[in-house]
Order: sequence, then C-alpha cells, then structure tokens
Amino acid sequence: MRLVKKKITIAVLLMMLSSIFLFPLSVFGAEKEDMANGEFIVGMEAAYPPFNWTQSDDSNGAVLIQGSNQYANGYDVAVAKDLAKTLDKKLVIVKTAWDGLLPALTSGKIDAIVAGMSPTDERKEQIDFSNNYYTSNLVMMVRSDGDFASAKSIDDFTGAKITAQLGTFHYTVIPQIPEVQQQQAMQNFSAMRVALESAIIDGYVTERPEGVTAQKANSHFKMVEFSQDGGFQTSEEDTAIAVGVRKGDPNLAAINEYLNNFSVDEQNALMDKEIGFQPMSDDEHQAWYRQIAAIAMENADLFIRGAGMTLFISLIGTIVGTLIGLLIGVFRTIPESENKFLAFIYRIISFLVTAYIEIFRGTPMIVQAMVLYYGTALAFGLNLDRTIAALLIVSINTGAYMSEIVRGGIFSVDIGQFEAAQAIGMTHRQTMIKVVLPQVIRNILPATGNEFVINIKDTSVLSVISVSELFFQGSTVSQQNFMYFQTFAIICVIYFVLTFTITRILRFVETKLDGPDAYVPISNQMQVE
Amino acid sequence: MSEKILEVNHLKKSFGENEVLKDIHLNVNIGEVISIIGSSGSGKSTLLRSINLLEKPDGGEIIFKGKNVLSKGYNLPKYRTHLGMVFQSFNLFNNMNALDNIIVGQTTVLKRSHADAKKEANENLKKVGMESFANAKPSQLSGGQKQRIAIARALSMNPDVLLFDEPTSALDPEMVGEVLKTIKELAKVHMTMIIVTHEMEFAREVSDRVIFMDQGVIAEQGPPEQIFENPKEARTREFLQRFLK
Repeated sequence: MRLVKKKITIAVLLMMLSSIFLFPLSVFGAEKEDMANGEFIVGMEAAYPPFNWTQSDDSNGAVLIQGSNQYANGYDVAVAKDLAKTLDKKLVIVKTAWDGLLPALTSGKIDAIVAGMSPTDERKEQIDFSNNYYTSNLVMMVRSDGDFASAKSIDDFTGAKITAQLGTFHYTVIPQIPEVQQQQAMQNFSAMRVALESAIIDGYVTERPEGVTAQKANSHFKMVEFSQDGGFQTSEEDTAIAVGVRKGDPNLAAINEYLNNFSVDEQNALMDKEIGFQPMSDDEHQAWYRQIAAIAMENADLFIRGAGMTLFISLIGTIVGTLIGLLIGVFRTIPESENKFLAFIYRIISFLVTAYIEIFRGTPMIVQAMVLYYGTALAFGLNLDRTIAALLIVSINTGAYMSEIVRGGIFSVDIGQFEAAQAIGMTHRQTMIKVVLPQVIRNILPATGNEFVINIKDTSVLSVISVSELFFQGSTVSQQNFMYFQTFAIICVIYFVLTFTITRILRFVETKLDGPDAYVPISNQMQVE
Repeated sequence: MSEKILEVNHLKKSFGENEVLKDIHLNVNIGEVISIIGSSGSGKSTLLRSINLLEKPDGGEIIFKGKNVLSKGYNLPKYRTHLGMVFQSFNLFNNMNALDNIIVGQTTVLKRSHADAKKEANENLKKVGMESFANAKPSQLSGGQKQRIAIARALSMNPDVLLFDEPTSALDPEMVGEVLKTIKELAKVHMTMIIVTHEMEFAREVSDRVIFMDQGVIAEQGPPEQIFENPKEARTREFLQRFLK
C-alpha cells in the first residue's frame, strides 16, 4: 500500500514539475499538434477577407485558431465547417502563411487547404483539388483619389504600375495591360494595400470579394470592375476556387459529393453574408494618434502576449546559444590527445563543429526556419511544435555565432592566466572552469547582449512558420484593421522598449561585475565602520 | 652535506632553428638559493620554464626527488604543485580577489577545505605584508602589490622549490624594494629558490650560488663572491662590467 502511495506521489510530483516546465509554453500559446483521428485540420492565411480573416471573438460562427486566442471567420471557414460536419470530424483551423500552405499540406501538418486557392496545373502536380466551391472575377484595386479611379477597362491602365500577390494567377495576367509597368510580386495583401495607399503602385489585381472588402474597410481604396470584354482574359481553372488535399486523400470523394450539392446561388448567398460579417474598424475617421491609442488599447493583450513570446524565444535562444558557444569554444581549446583514437574522434567532431558554424552563419534564419519546420515533417515524419521549432532555430543559429564570439573571448584571455593556473598544478579542465571561463564570460558579455538584441528583432522572421511573436501579432492586427502605419508604429515602439531596456540592464550588470577602480584597504574600512 | 632535491641533466630546448638550451646540467639542494643571471636571450628564463615544464624540453632529464619527471605516465600537475612559480607579469587570476587567488589552487588542486585554505592564505598574506588587501581585485593593485600576492599564492601551495622568473622586471623602480624584501625574508628561513634576475646587488646578497648563463649554456657558477669579485670566465667579466657600469 505504502509503495503504491509513494508511486502516486512521485507521479503527481512529476506531473507538477512537467507542468511547471511547460507552463511558459502554454502561456505563450504553444500548441500540441495532434493529428489524431477525428480532427479535420484546415490551413488558411486568415488574412484574405472575405474568404478568411482573423477576429478577436467567436461572433458570427467564427472558429478558434489553433494555438491562439483569436478566431478565424469568412467564406472559407463556413465551407470548412460544413466539410468537417460532412466528414464527421472536429474542425481545427491553423493559421498559415500563403507560401506555407502547400508545404504544410504535403508534410502532413494540415489535412486540407481551404484558403481561396485556385486549382492551377502547377499546384495539381503537388496536391489534389476538390470540385469548385466558388468562382470569382478579377478586379483592380486603385486609390479612390487617384488617376485610375474612373478606369473602365484594362486598356485604361496603360503604363500604370501594377502588381499582384506572389504565386497567384493574378500576377500572370498583368502583361495583358498595354505597356504596363509590372512591379515585383508581393507576399501578401497587407503589403499590397500599404504599397497602394502610399502610391508605390497604382493598383493591384485581385478577386472581387477581396476587392469589396478592401473598399469597404478603407475609403482610400476603390475597386475597378471590368465588363466581360474590357477585363482580363482568364481560364476558368484560375478563377475557380477549390479545396486542396494531399494526393490520394480518401476524404476527397466525400468532399466532392458535398460540394456537388452546393449550388452557385447558395455560394453567392453565402459570400454576400460573409462580406457582411467582416470586422470593420470605426476608427477610420479619427486623427492618426487617436487611432494608435485605440489600436493599442483594443489589442493590448495580443501585443503583450506577442512581446512575451518574442522575449521568451530570444532569451532562451540566447542562453542556449551561449551555452552551445561556450561548449564549442572550450572543446576547441582541448590540447590534441596523444592517444591516436581520441585524436581521430577529436578531428571528426572538430569537422562537424566547423560545418555547423559555417552552415548556420552562412544561411538566413528565415530559410533555416522553413527547412527545419517543414523539412523535419517531410523527412522524418516529425511534427514539431511551432514554439519548440522556433526555440531550436534561434538557439542553433545563435550558437553558431556565439561559438566564434567565445573563441575570440578565450583568445583575449592573457596567456599568463593559463600558465599561472598550470604552474599551480591545475589540469586543463580546472584551468578552464576556475580561471578562464569566468573571464571569457565577462569578455563576451557585451557581444552576448548584442546577440540578445539581434534575436529580439530577428525572431520576427519566425512569422513564416506562424510563431505568434510580436511581428506576427502586429501583422494579424493590421490585417484586421487595415491601419498598417498605426499598428506597426506600436509594434516598433514595443521592440524599441524591449531592446533598449535590455541594453541598459546589461550595461548595469557589466559595471557591477567590474567593481570600482580603487580599493580601500581593509584596515581603513574598519575605521569607517 | 645538504640533500639534493632537483637535478637537471643534458637538458635541451629549441624554438625552431634557434637552440636556446644546450646540454644544461644543474643540481639544486634543499634550502639553497640560486640566482641565474645573464643577458637577454641567454636562455635563463627558458631554463626556469623548462624546469616546471611550461616549456616542453626536447631532450634530457629532470629528476625531482629521485624520479624523472619527463618519463611517461609521470603525474605532471602533481609535480607542479611542488614547484611554486612567480612570473614577471604576476599573472594573478583577474576574475578573483587577492584572497581567492591564493585559495583557489589549494582547494582545487590540493583538495584542502575552504577554511584551511583561507587560514593558510591569510598567514601568507601577512607574511608578504598584504593582509589589508585580501578583498582587492588585481586591477585595483599596484605592480608591487600584485607580485607580493603572487608570492603568497605560490607559498600557500607549500612548494618544495620556488621559481622566480624576473620577479621585479615589470615593476616601477620604487616598487622593486618591497618585492625583493619579501624574497629576502624567504631566504632567511631557507626556502629553496631559483631566481632569474637582473638585480645584481640583490643576487649577491641573497644567493648561496650564482649561475651565469650565456648563449644557452651555464658559462660559470659559484658562490656570489667568486662570480661578482673574481669571475674566472672572460665572458662573465665582460657581462658584469657592462651591467655594473
């Protein structure tokens, strides 16, 4: 009996311990991506109204976005809900960047793409598509006070600066405009809206539902519709929108059967309804500083969580990275062994370490994030938690830089320190631990602080794997309120406060560590007392 | 007859093409104070550093208490605890205060308890006249003060032999005295010491034997009176004339 009790106590203790360990992860919105049966995991941008958008409550039938406290809604969400019901599974919505949708599907992180995606031949090579669940027309978004506001056909855009979203057929039709100045394709609609508003471009090609939304949200925008003859020539394959699934997915038949009964009239009715549900900002006509204040108040919780996540990832990443750097730095000081086998092992590890440093210093972190997150899923079937993936990437990346910094730190410790330790009879290990490393740590402190500040800023690239750090939260909010400058001004200030505070704290620690320049002998100190 | 503690035979050392030590022979008896003099580049520092193997000799043997320390499997760190070393540039551990500099070797290498190590450290701090600077960081001390702490650090390991590598060369003139005074005190209690130095007056006063090195060999050795007043070798005379002028 006692033994059993003891075991239970230990189990409870272990659970408590592990929950403490996992606590920060759960607080900062880490998620367990369980692909158990009974879940229909759907990927979408949640930033392409009226097909899909993000909102902060569950009104109008919105669905909670996995790993966040925000909700997705829109035409796609309504369709996805019906599909999940048809398949008799629980709907899970994962917010994924447009570029990340295909890899997320093929690597098994999601089960379907319901994201206003057209079934192009290119995409069909990688994934299967269902029957259409919507068909749309191409329109042009322009500034309502601009030269092109009254355009009627694509010929009226002669010589205009036009762009569209990267990887869409919207972009490939642009050359149909005479003498058009086709601009670089852009990552997302937010970027294009900012570019349009700031007159970097004259217009962007989009589909009617998105156009209606943008026009409704921001009075500076106007949607130009074209008649049958005056518009872009498109194939039905492009304007159609379908559900993407993995090749050979057994659920496809059931999905198609459902969609066959989803008439065009029903589609249009649903679209009209969803456009009406779109969250609108009523702050639009206020002064910009009032808008900033309003955005800050409304989204304070989101921004604090985002800042917390950013700090958490960069802090852990910097600490783990510094430990990796110290480990490698110390490894490199080990004198070559006279034992041939050990010397051989040493050389192999040494080669691997060099390869690690060169590769991770020589490639962008954004690319590393993509490769690690989607690559592990494709190659090993490993489904990494996003936050864990983020921590791994930042740690490994920082480790590569820190090992070089530590090398410099060890190098700058006077040779006399090593000799004095040796002369006293210390072994290499004792010398390192007692004498050299404490000085190395002092030497690398400024560089480590620098790395920390860099990490705070660079974690923003992790938004590509949908880690809900500060920049990601900023994008989410701005995609809802269409006020990019106002939102990112807040994000900018938060980043600066974070980095500035940390720089000051580190400076303080340095001065504390160095102590005063002059020393008051003990006897004098006693007199003072 | 005093007992031999250290014996150097056929010791050779080259740095690349440059042969710094050529077939050196040296005996050290317990309680003996030996000064090594000679011009720069004569090999005197290299000899000292070879004795505690901060430089690895190319050939020869170093026999300590009857055992060759260059033989395979000899416990080198343990050997070094028997030889205290005082460096020209002090080499106090920058990350510790004076007291910890003296304690750390005792606790990590000799495995003494912290309390014992501290007691030993305080005694030696008193011996070098630095007891009121126990909590000072090296950066807060003058050169002479640092060197006295370094001597206390070496003494606290209870070495059989103390090696001094030009202990006053990096000091301002007014600080040389305090360090030399400390070494003289040690000579009075018959600490075995080998001192590489340029302080001729000091060498004459403190040494039992003076060794003059020239171009990698021991050119002449003998009691200080012989070396300083009646050198046999022409090059010893030449060196001293140049030096004492």
